[in-house]
Amino acid sequence: MERALKILIVEDEPKTGAYLKQGLSEAGFVVDLADNGTDGLHQALTEAYDLTVLDVMLPGMDGWQVLQGIRRAGKEMPVLFLTARDQVEDRVKGLELGADDYLVKPFAFSELLARIRTLLRRGNKSKEADFLRAADLELDLLRRRVTRAGKRIDLTAKEFALLELLLRRQGEVLPRSLIASQVWDMNFDSDTNVIEVAIKRLRIKIDEGFETKLIRTVRGMGYVLEVAD
Amino acid sequence: MKTRRGPSLTLRLTLLFALASALVLFLLGLLIGHAVEKHFEEQDMELLSGKMELVRHILEKSNGPWPNESLTHQLDDALTGHHGLAVSILATDGRTYYSNDANAFSPDLLKTKPSESGRPLKWTAGNGVSMRGIAASYATADARTPITIGIATEISHHEHFMHSFRQTLWSFMAAAAAVMGMLGWFVARRGLSPLQTIKRRAAEITANSLDTRLPTEAIPRELAELTDTLNGMLSRLEESFQRLSDFSSDLAHELRTPVSNLLTQTQVILSKNRTVDEYRDVLASNAEEFERLSRMISDMLFLAKADNQQIIPNRERVDLAEEARSLMEYYEILAETKRLRLSISGNGIVTGDRLMLRRAISNLLSNAVQHTPDDGSVTIRIHDDAPGEVRLIIENSGETIPAEHLERLFDRFYRADSSRHRTTEGAGLGLAITRSIIRAHGGDIHVSSAGRVTRFALLIPT
Repeated sequence: MERALKILIVEDEPKTGAYLKQGLSEAGFVVDLADNGTDGLHQALTEAYDLTVLDVMLPGMDGWQVLQGIRRAGKEMPVLFLTARDQVEDRVKGLELGADDYLVKPFAFSELLARIRTLLRRGNKSKEADFLRAADLELDLLRRRVTRAGKRIDLTAKEFALLELLLRRQGEVLPRSLIASQVWDMNFDSDTNVIEVAIKRLRIKIDEGFETKLIRTVRGMGYVLEVAD
Repeated sequence: MKTRRGPSLTLRLTLLFALASALVLFLLGLLIGHAVEKHFEEQDMELLSGKMELVRHILEKSNGPWPNESLTHQLDDALTGHHGLAVSILATDGRTYYSNDANAFSPDLLKTKPSESGRPLKWTAGNGVSMRGIAASYATADARTPITIGIATEISHHEHFMHSFRQTLWSFMAAAAAVMGMLGWFVARRGLSPLQTIKRRAAEITANSLDTRLPTEAIPRELAELTDTLNGMLSRLEESFQRLSDFSSDLAHELRTPVSNLLTQTQVILSKNRTVDEYRDVLASNAEEFERLSRMISDMLFLAKADNQQIIPNRERVDLAEEARSLMEYYEILAETKRLRLSISGNGIVTGDRLMLRRAISNLLSNAVQHTPDDGSVTIRIHDDAPGEVRLIIENSGETIPAEHLERLFDRFYRADSSRHRTTEGAGLGLAITRSIIRAHGGDIHVSSAGRVTRFALLIPT
């Protein structure tokens, strides 16, 4: 069992803060919550965190200042900022100041979780594997081949990309928006149920006829590939 | 904030009018005064030159040496009965040959030698009487002693007359100017009364009565243009206001349904103990609904920004065919379930924001795929043969959209087919967003529908 990752949340809205804390704790992180910029910066500098989730609009000291303070102190931990203002300048400013990612409120919690995991994974990049596996499912990245229980499964290019994403992030619930953006480069919300249909088809190819179902729908959240215990 | 205002228009016009009439009257007064004076001068001149002839005549007839009794007598005789007439005859050496009123003459008159045709001089004599006179040289027969003849007449009665005449004249003029000023005020008020009407009408206009228009009948031509302009402004305001208010009520309506669903559902579930699965079901369904609401809010924000010209597209090279192909790949999954034929042809490169253009095309494609009946077709064609512009056309088969719906298709929340289920259609903001994006790129979008084919055409500047 590896060490639990520590996350600092700086968020002044009590309800949002509490839910973020609960959600991230339940996702297996150790979470601290600061409700203003001054405390947030202090905590970020005095304790060791693996990641900070930073709201931009904060009393005392705004998110930009906290971010600058963190970077000025030489802390390299990833910072993901939350903004209610969907302004291009905001994003640019945040990224220029050294933030690693941003989310515009309102956002889906599953999206936040997925982004946090991406940021945390970035740090410890191990050697890219040639094979991805889950139970008896095997994906050969070099030869672009998929087998389950030794049986070859034919996938289209997009289906392969989708399965690769699910396998790489096994056990994580991936929201539709993340799947759309990673697999189809659809970086905006779409009202259609394309992802639903795509997952359904992939599931037919991967899971049909096998007793252990690997791909699971988490209603209201997204999709996850995991080997049930 | 209190603004400094200029003087009232009526006051300005009145003052200008009064000033103009005063000026005209003043000039007229000067002219009349001058003419009367001139008349008196001519009268005097006639008298004086007549007398001058007479004196010359007498001088010619009389024999020197002067002065002598006979000349004095003759002249006295000739001049009797002419009250106020003074005659002086002087030698150049200063000797006086004759003078009937030594005080009457101004030395200037006799020293200088004005020509006979010259204007008479005017002066005030030693006894305070105003005089006018002429002088002439006279050469005697022997031409040895040139002499100067001066004749003057008293003009005090003329002066008196002129004085009182001027007084009367100027007081008349002043009164006339005052009357003109008052008339001017009256005329200005009358002339400006349409402005008052406009003002009264304009004062009545509020947000609730934007349909009021300023009166255009019986408005003078100069003001008609102003009222037309203002009425035009009112029309535009009314339209924008109407759109805004429609939009707000649409928005409220669009939000009310899902929020009320969420509330009811949540409260029903809370009213009794449920199994974990039931709770999970409701929460999941709520989450889906919230996601939709959140998407709608983002879309609304995007449109609000577009309305305020806050959408500034990046400028990068965008290969429309490539983007369209990639989007088709995405929607193909849906298309296959309906057995739709998707096809794309042509090429076109534009400069713009790749993500935004993708979104614009995606909305149209999504729309087309959803509205095409099973076994139909969706076609994208890109034309770049026109200079400076690329046309991207998305066509889908299906029922012809009636013309009355076509023009409103880009309105927010507008759905041509109101019976269509909400969840499959989205919030009805897609086409509005597409139009905003294309317009932010300086392009335009058109829609037509005929013969069971609906066609959207995007015109994007390269």
